[in-house]
Amino acid sequence: LRVPVSWLREYVRVDATADEIAHALSISTGEVNEVVHRGVPEEDGNLDRFRVGLVLEAAKHPNADRLQLCRVDVGEKEPVQIVCGAWNFGAGAKVAVALPGATLPNGLTLERRELRGQVSEGMILAEDEVDLGTDHDGIMVLDDALAPGTLLADVLPLVDQVLEVEPTGNRPDLLSVYGVAREVAALFDGELAPLPGADPPSAGNEPVEIRIEDYDGCPRYVGRLFRDVAIGESPVWLKARLRAAGVRSISNVVDVTNYVMLALGSPLHVFDYDTLHGGLVIVCRAHAGEELRTLDGTLRKLLPSDLLIADADRAIAIAGIMGGAETEVTEATTSVLLEAANFEPVGILRSSERLALRSEASSRWEKGVDPHVAGAAATLATQLIVELSGARWTGHADVQGTLPERALVMLRPERTDAVLGLTVPAEEQASILGKLGFDGEGDGFLVPTWRARDVTREIDLIEEIARFKMDEIPFTLPRRDAMFGRLTRWQRLRRLVEDVLAGCGFAEAYTPTFVADGELRLPEPLSAEAAALRTALYGSLVDAARHNVAVGNSEIALFEIARVYRAAAGGGLPDETWHVAGIVEGGFADAKWAVEQLYGALKLEPPFERAAEPFLHPGKSARTNGGWVGELHPSVLEGVWGAFELDLDALVAAAPEVVEFEEVSPFPEVRQDLAFVVDEDVPAAALAAVLREAAGPELRSVAVFDEYCGEQVGPGKRSLAFRVAFGSPERTLTDEEAAVLRGRIVDALAERFGAVLRA
Amino acid sequence: VDAQALQDNALAAVARASTVAELDEARVTYLGRKSELKLALRDVRDRESGMALNAAREAIEQAVAARQAELERAELDSKLTTERVDVTLPAELIAAREGRPLRPRPHGSLHPSTQVRRDVEDIFLGLGYEVVDDREVETTRYNFDALGFPAWHPARSPRASLFLDDETVLRTETSPAQIHKMESQRPPIYMVSIGRVYRRDTIDATHYPIFHQFEGLAIDKGITMADLKGTLLHVMRALYGPEREVRFRTHYFPFTEPSMEPDVSCPICGGAGCRTCKQSGWIEMGGSGMVDPYLYEFVGWDPDEFTGFAFGMGIERTAQLRNGIPGIRPFWENDLRFLRQF
Repeated sequence: LRVPVSWLREYVRVDATADEIAHALSISTGEVNEVVHRGVPEEDGNLDRFRVGLVLEAAKHPNADRLQLCRVDVGEKEPVQIVCGAWNFGAGAKVAVALPGATLPNGLTLERRELRGQVSEGMILAEDEVDLGTDHDGIMVLDDALAPGTLLADVLPLVDQVLEVEPTGNRPDLLSVYGVAREVAALFDGELAPLPGADPPSAGNEPVEIRIEDYDGCPRYVGRLFRDVAIGESPVWLKARLRAAGVRSISNVVDVTNYVMLALGSPLHVFDYDTLHGGLVIVCRAHAGEELRTLDGTLRKLLPSDLLIADADRAIAIAGIMGGAETEVTEATTSVLLEAANFEPVGILRSSERLALRSEASSRWEKGVDPHVAGAAATLATQLIVELSGARWTGHADVQGTLPERALVMLRPERTDAVLGLTVPAEEQASILGKLGFDGEGDGFLVPTWRARDVTREIDLIEEIARFKMDEIPFTLPRRDAMFGRLTRWQRLRRLVEDVLAGCGFAEAYTPTFVADGELRLPEPLSAEAAALRTALYGSLVDAARHNVAVGNSEIALFEIARVYRAAAGGGLPDETWHVAGIVEGGFADAKWAVEQLYGALKLEPPFERAAEPFLHPGKSARTNGGWVGELHPSVLEGVWGAFELDLDALVAAAPEVVEFEEVSPFPEVRQDLAFVVDEDVPAAALAAVLREAAGPELRSVAVFDEYCGEQVGPGKRSLAFRVAFGSPERTLTDEEAAVLRGRIVDALAERFGAVLRA
Repeated sequence: VDAQALQDNALAAVARASTVAELDEARVTYLGRKSELKLALRDVRDRESGMALNAAREAIEQAVAARQAELERAELDSKLTTERVDVTLPAELIAAREGRPLRPRPHGSLHPSTQVRRDVEDIFLGLGYEVVDDREVETTRYNFDALGFPAWHPARSPRASLFLDDETVLRTETSPAQIHKMESQRPPIYMVSIGRVYRRDTIDATHYPIFHQFEGLAIDKGITMADLKGTLLHVMRALYGPEREVRFRTHYFPFTEPSMEPDVSCPICGGAGCRTCKQSGWIEMGGSGMVDPYLYEFVGWDPDEFTGFAFGMGIERTAQLRNGIPGIRPFWENDLRFLRQF
């Protein structure tokens, strides 16, 4: 909401500057995005050069058919001569004059100059030249009562500041200049003017028929009828206010509705009364299949959930959202029906969302508008319509359901202190609430009607007090009886995994949750590539690797720890599982090495076995507990890439909670290297497992350290060399004992795999 | 010509082809210039048989293309299989076998968001808080209803949030974790939840539909707004330096009452005014407030027994401010020139 400060000051008297008001509002009320200074620059006495002028003479310029040559009294000793391009005035008119040296809002500084041989000492102003409107067809003709030489700034809002207030969703009462004024008055102890507007004398007693069929949707409808309306342009002051508030001027009557909405927060609508069938207004729900062409020219299909304004035969407006084209007020209109109603918020919100149609009005209704303000809005609008359009006010109706009573909310002053952590005397609490319109009654407060939706509980009253004490509340820490706070085992191991992979040379990546396709789809996708929740991470890492290749990065190694999502077997919310995945330029060995480090750090022994996945190299991929590691199939990503993806939750669950200490033997180990020739497809891990089993507890360690295929072992065979260490916690093993162990190993491997010990 | 018979024969031949060369033969036979089909198409006079023949042609072409891809893949795979290694060997030996011994790699890096996450975890652990990361896919009951989102709140709209169905939504803040915690445990509760949250935002320099939040929660006997101010001051100073100041502005959030937005004195200019703080000297940090009594009622507690506070902030935003990263995009692009700086 843009609040022109000059307008605000009409409703509240405070000494504070615009910046001070903005600051106080932003601390205690809601955001003020900006204070915009608009209009004529104020520097260097610039305002002195804008005056009211009396046109003494006006005649055609001797050398130009389109120009007038005027002599204008601007309050100086001598009148000045001004050349002017407009013809909508003559001698005797009061006009707005800018004298040489004056700087206009657009930055242009006027100079005394000659136009077609005649000196022009200044400019007679059109409204657009001083940013009061957009009209440039003629100059502004001012009130006859003004004295020539009067400073123009005293008559027109040449200079203004505009507060861009962005109230929070719970404060629709601040969507009006008067609402902001009420808040400013409370913050600065300023004097708030009574609600603006007074009903002019009524000029007739025509019946106005209003029928409300749905009091839930429309608790109140004030209708007022005007005759002899002359639709025309709005006066400069009105255009200027609307312009400063960011609203386009349309015509006097329409401008009045917008003006009152901005002033009081209650949206209004006007119908051309002569277009209403049966001369009556019904508030009802749409019937199936009903249609309405709205003001913007679009034909809207309506549903029975939409609240309508109808006449005897048809829909004439979508209540609170937009009027119909056929009943619009036009230049030809002479009879006007003014609607000052109240609509229930959620229905308006649903309809406007469904129709994808939001208006200034609907955005207020959907947040909730005080039904009591409809009367004041009708009054202010009536006064202005009569004043500005010469209309007669001839009829009135105010149809109401039961409007809610002001709620009484209890407040324990000591509870305020307990929530704030600051002692605020009960009288001061009452005083703050009083300034905001809450009237004390017994142990509670009556909530003002404009805060009825927001303030319903004690804590809401406490908030009202808190926001006035924001800076006074001290900085303390909770006084605690119990302390805890440590990472869970899972969280600690996640850190370990992160550190291990970073240590292995991987850079950590964060990739999006979404993929193009999957079992958990978004009914309204973000994009074609982000339409479902992912079930694996590696695809996103492939994308990240591809991006890095594209920008020319090398030695690419990325990992990520994130969740994957799968539909739950029994229905209900999806299963979310943490995965850790990596991708590395180089190949299978590079990925496997990282996985080995990972398992090692978690004190786990990975059981690798050959795997087949369509996205992996068929000869270089392995499954392990909780996932896979392999070389990416060349069809997935060009180049040679290793990758892995493991179920982190499963790994953490498998990792030992506590490492059990094993006695370090003081006796030296006997180490031996044993090489066996076996069939090519016998996995090294299978040999090692049998070897371990055969050797028994004296085997301290075993590791493969060499692989050989070739002439010396023959086709289809390979040689694998193991380094084994034997030992005992009680003594040094003798060579004979070691030879026995070795013999057991050789026999077992020969028996199980036909392995032959190489000499 | 019988288009259907022709098509059946052709598809059978395509299916029989077990090498790319055989498939090529079949293609020449059934789709070549002198094939029965092409000759028939040349002579066709009436619309109906033309359509039938063209349908057959399309079916055969598709089958050939599909079979071609299959066979090429199979041939590639059988070639790849000859490169197979013993996957149970240590990585070092596999690398040696492939003639590309493993080389030491320079140390990798942790993502800036992870680094902030760890700092936040450590700060809160030091204050005696637990760290929680609850689920991301939530019911609307926990994501909205339990947190007191009114019916009009824009976050309830699919224009703002990402729904899987009417009752399931990707959490829009980490706050549902608070309700889960409160349902499982009575106070004292001191926790910080950290994790991914989702909004329907169009990607630009400052928006991404996914970001990370951290949200502190304290519920106990006698917790006050002063405690919230003091805790936030401590956390902000721990994150941004000991000379930071914090101020609070009234705001509105569904799950806190009173609600405030904390500002921290600009860590870039020290409060003098700069581009980052838009000359104001203050940076908006997120949201905070006293836990709305509605939440206590939701989990069945006496709303007078406990008070509590909550505050939430963005992880990426924290990293942006601490590391001087101007936009949000680099956090998700995963460009190594960015990642390796951290």
